[in-house]
Amino acid sequence: MTVKPFQLLCPRELSDALATLEKHSGNIRVLAGGTDLLPSMRQRLFEPEYVLDIRQLREIQGIRLTEQGIEIGAFTTLHAIENSDELKRSYPLLVEAAKTVASPVIRNMATIGGNVCLDTRCLWYNQSLSWRKSCGFCIKKDGNICHVAPGGTKCWAAFSADTPPALLCLQAEIEIRNASSSRRVTLEKFYTGEGDNYRRLQPDELVTHIFLPRGSALYGGAYRKLRIRGSIDYPLAAVAVALKRKNGDFEDLRIAITAVNPAPLLVAGVQSLVNRAMTRERMAEEIAELAARTAKPLTTSALTPEYRREIIRVFTKRAVLEAAAD
Amino acid sequence: MSDFSVVGKPIPMIDAAAKTTGAGKYTDDLSLPGLLIGKILHSPHPHARIRHIDISRALELDGVVAVVTGADAPNPYGILPVGHDEHALALDKVRYVGDNLACVAAEDSRAAERALELIDVDYDILPAYFDPEESMKAERDLIHENKPHNLEKDYHHVFGNPAQGFAQADCTVEGRFIANEVTHAAMEPHSTLATFDLDPVTGNIGRLTVWSSTQVPYYLQHKLSLVLDLPMSQIRVIKPLVGGGFGGKSEVIPLEIIAAIAARKARRPVKITYTREEVCWAHRGRPRTIIDLKTGATSDGRLTAVEARVIQDGGAYCSYGVVTILYSGALLGALYDIANLQYDGYRVLTNKPACGAMRGHGTVNVRFAFESQLDEIAAKLNLDPAEIRRQNLLRPPAITVNGLRVQSYGLPECIEKVVERSGWAERKGRLGKGRGLGLACSHYVSGAANSIIRSDMPHSTVNIKIDRDGGVVVYTGASEIGQGSDTMTSQIAAEVLGCLLSRVKVVAADTDLTPIDIGSYSSRVTFMAGNATLRAAQEVKRQIASAAAQKMGCAPEELIFRDDLVFRRDAQRGVPRLEGEPSGENPSRQRSRGRTHEQANTSQASVAGRVEGQILRGSLQQKRKEDLTPKDFMTFEEAVVAAIDFHGALTGTGSYAPPAAARGGKYKGAGVGPSPAYSYSAQVAEVSVDEETGQVTVHKVWAAHDCGRALNPVAVEGQVIGSVWMGMGQALTEEMIWKDGLLMNPGLLEYRSPSAAESPQVEAIIVESVDPEGPFGAKECSEGALAATIPAISNAIYDAVGIRLHEAPFSPERVLAALRAKKAAKPLNLTEGVDPTRPTRFREHGGALCFKQKGPERHELDASRAR
Ligand SMILES: Cc1cc2nc3c(=O)[nH]c(=O)nc-3n(C[C@H](O)[C@H](O)[C@H](O)COP(=O)(O)OP(=O)(O)OC[C@H]3O[C@@H](n4cnc5c(N)ncnc54)[C@H](O)[C@@H]3O)c2cc1C
Repeated sequence: MTVKPFQLLCPRELSDALATLEKHSGNIRVLAGGTDLLPSMRQRLFEPEYVLDIRQLREIQGIRLTEQGIEIGAFTTLHAIENSDELKRSYPLLVEAAKTVASPVIRNMATIGGNVCLDTRCLWYNQSLSWRKSCGFCIKKDGNICHVAPGGTKCWAAFSADTPPALLCLQAEIEIRNASSSRRVTLEKFYTGEGDNYRRLQPDELVTHIFLPRGSALYGGAYRKLRIRGSIDYPLAAVAVALKRKNGDFEDLRIAITAVNPAPLLVAGVQSLVNRAMTRERMAEEIAELAARTAKPLTTSALTPEYRREIIRVFTKRAVLEAAAD
Repeated sequence: MSDFSVVGKPIPMIDAAAKTTGAGKYTDDLSLPGLLIGKILHSPHPHARIRHIDISRALELDGVVAVVTGADAPNPYGILPVGHDEHALALDKVRYVGDNLACVAAEDSRAAERALELIDVDYDILPAYFDPEESMKAERDLIHENKPHNLEKDYHHVFGNPAQGFAQADCTVEGRFIANEVTHAAMEPHSTLATFDLDPVTGNIGRLTVWSSTQVPYYLQHKLSLVLDLPMSQIRVIKPLVGGGFGGKSEVIPLEIIAAIAARKARRPVKITYTREEVCWAHRGRPRTIIDLKTGATSDGRLTAVEARVIQDGGAYCSYGVVTILYSGALLGALYDIANLQYDGYRVLTNKPACGAMRGHGTVNVRFAFESQLDEIAAKLNLDPAEIRRQNLLRPPAITVNGLRVQSYGLPECIEKVVERSGWAERKGRLGKGRGLGLACSHYVSGAANSIIRSDMPHSTVNIKIDRDGGVVVYTGASEIGQGSDTMTSQIAAEVLGCLLSRVKVVAADTDLTPIDIGSYSSRVTFMAGNATLRAAQEVKRQIASAAAQKMGCAPEELIFRDDLVFRRDAQRGVPRLEGEPSGENPSRQRSRGRTHEQANTSQASVAGRVEGQILRGSLQQKRKEDLTPKDFMTFEEAVVAAIDFHGALTGTGSYAPPAAARGGKYKGAGVGPSPAYSYSAQVAEVSVDEETGQVTVHKVWAAHDCGRALNPVAVEGQVIGSVWMGMGQALTEEMIWKDGLLMNPGLLEYRSPSAAESPQVEAIIVESVDPEGPFGAKECSEGALAATIPAISNAIYDAVGIRLHEAPFSPERVLAALRAKKAAKPLNLTEGVDPTRPTRFREHGGALCFKQKGPERHELDASRAR
């Protein structure tokens, strides 16, 4: 289907961009790489009157070393991230996760800001307008039923981006700005856990930067992603593990999962299982169990929820053991 | 003679440059002055009676030129004469979500799409049927009134004495297999551009011209004539480049008719190109199939009887369905020697998009079941899977119990080759944890011996015309769809005429210009159009020979055509050296090997006097005046000029109809299955299975294929690799997912054809059985290999981890479910209650379409409401 006509606005200055957002607030969408927004607009999931193209905003591009760690502009491509020597050295987990997104061609366009802000996904939602008509629409768009959890009133569309679990493990913060102010929040706080209203972002706000604290540099880690094909596919379940060691012991272990809930989630309670008197294998299994219990997949994708949850278990265990072996 | 100069050589596709540079034109690339864009309104209901369609609001919209509905073309059609149950735009009823209701022709797509929103349709919603076994119980609200129990067609065949066969068996294995639904996923979505000539004086509508992405231009011409009430002579169908078909373009697809109706009403050219979702709704793919299979064998592995009950979920229209269900039974024969055979086939209607022909038509799902069960028997009898297959080989020439004639039969060699190359004897069962090898075989027709339109007309006819400068034009109705038919045609013409391949130009698939050919399906083109080309070329060659023989003072039989020369057999050694040629005793021998076209072209130009065209002709004429003594040889052009001077025009024609002996038995349904020749395949797959995730990786496939003579080995290898790859898709990842008649994955992101990342190494091994009737001995090579891949992978999974999957695809959740069941691990509902090792029914996607009063409008008896 064709995209509904819109006006494309391409400011060169961040301040202009923010003023534009404020002016058309509620009737404007931010276009970064467009790899998710444009297909969605063709499906008539968004029909904004204005589209704000942010590709000319220098201030929100590039990877910069700072006192506190690393600052990544929201409009930095995943291609740049996977090829950044600094990130490869200090935050290999992020690089590993970024590399699994979509395919090389898409990563040339896709940005990290877009990845963090990525819309949640569901087989009943990411469909054409005529398809959605035939299912009577859904809570997330134009309807009153959630087809995957029909008794309830909540939207269960799955948050399905790859870099946020890595960013969560690395304790990333994001900078959000509007025309008059700027705020900085931990990524964890950015997501609501609702499938429809999935992020805490006001209509006049833009995500401008992502910060990785110095304290998270040099964490070891592993990212395990379930996809049917070795390329192209979104994650159907995935887990990121970040580990800091001290004298062979685990000093800090963080685990986050994606694609199995309406938000990417840090698995709570992991640290309490670490360094107890048990084998690595046993510990990994217990942590995996915790991760699996955190996952609440529903039938938002072709694979069954039970399978996706099981994979969270298997992959968590594997990722923990792999991180531990490094 | 095995020493050919063009045939048997690896030759790049003659249209490859246009495709790889983007210069080639597909239908959607075409435009005409005044072109309108057509967009189709699709049904949101799986089954409903149309009370009323109101297009008035749509017509008022700016930019809208015409809106057409079923009433604009009420004549029914369908690809099979027995299945005229379709209307390109619904007349009284819609039968699946996606069925076609109306089409808007507008100045641009946006106006057309907006107009669709303004069409008001009033429905009476009917209960819908989605599961074929449920559908067969229907007493009311039938999908087509004239098909009781929603049964499109059933066949019950008994050959030999199955009861006696089973009585003789030492081992009998029985089981239900399920193959889920797959679709072609050709790269090019369907596209059609239609335009009518307007009489310049009266303004009346005149002839129709249609450009369409079709495998079957002549059937399209025929069906357009039926629906539009126009004589076929008033319709011209042209097939531009086609980006793959795999069967999805082997019949008339609604948009092809709709574009024509819309163009007629709008009195302007109309183009419609499907979205990927519309391609999935047009579908015509491989039906999901239930196969209840029973096989008996003696203790040494000889098969004593086979009994198959097959149910196909055909969707809402007949399409090729009657043929599909017959192929499923018929091609139980002709691979192995089976004396007793029982087949019960049911083609069932459901409220889903129509299934049709897809690569390996009708044979693939049954072959998956059969080859899996054969391995189960081998395991029970403690026989090697290769051995049990060797035990049951045919001894051709043979006629099978169900009346199929088998002549060339390279299966034994195929099995030997893959067993040898894969290291089967040493490696099978010894690859360590989670890794295994599996073997399976398959076969396919080289064209159907009986065409779907019952008539005595030849299945292929080819005309050849040669110009004075030696340019050879071949006119063929055969449809190049990427498989290489134009290249094949050129090769055969060049080989017969002994001229350079670069002289041959192919004009194909334009019903005004090219003689009839029934199309590119059932792997018939090389065999049939190839034979027709061969005969046409031979006819022209005879004319050239008679003229050349006069010039050379010998009998025509003494002439040899080769390497762009015509020479006397006895003068072979004396042929003078040509400019630009290295010296050597025998130019014809030398030139036949490994010379590029460019080299050939240069020397050709220097023989005849520089370049092509007029200058060339002039120089030839001069030469003729100077030189009147009989010669030992003539260049191809000189011979052609002589022939034209002698005969006037230089044209020839050839046609092919399958011989009576190949047309099969007399019983009801005997027409489907017979072929003039069968291709054979054997494959070994090497896989590994991740036992914690159920993920299967195919590492390598050794695929031996008997294609008769390989006219173009690279093309054969390409087809075999493509078949394996497509079969691997059906084996592991491709599956149309259904929920109450909604296709949950109508796009290439969620319908997962393998990507380059999953492609295993495929070692294509060509086996050349040289068929007595094929052109230069060639048979098919594009479909037969696919069916072996699925069971080869399934059998390899068994070898790797000991689970026997009865449901395809072997998705990770199914594999894991089977693994956990085997280990008696804590049960997890990984497959929504359908055990992939003993499936009973098709699985529906989870969640709910309707809940209480919420969700789309559906009839209260509809399955979606019942739950
Ligand atoms: C075939 C295919 C496969 C894919 N596979 C994957 C995959 O495997 N993993 C994965 O994670 N993703 C995948 N994607 C989705 C997408 O490509 C990536 O998530 C990408 O990083 C999105 O970035 P973008 O710049 O293209 O975002 P856009 O499409 O431009 O934007 C996405 C959303 O974020 C908003 N947005 C973007 N930037 C900002 C900002 N700075 N501030 C506020 N809002 C903003 C947009 O308004 C929009 O709502 C896939 C997409 C396709 C088409």
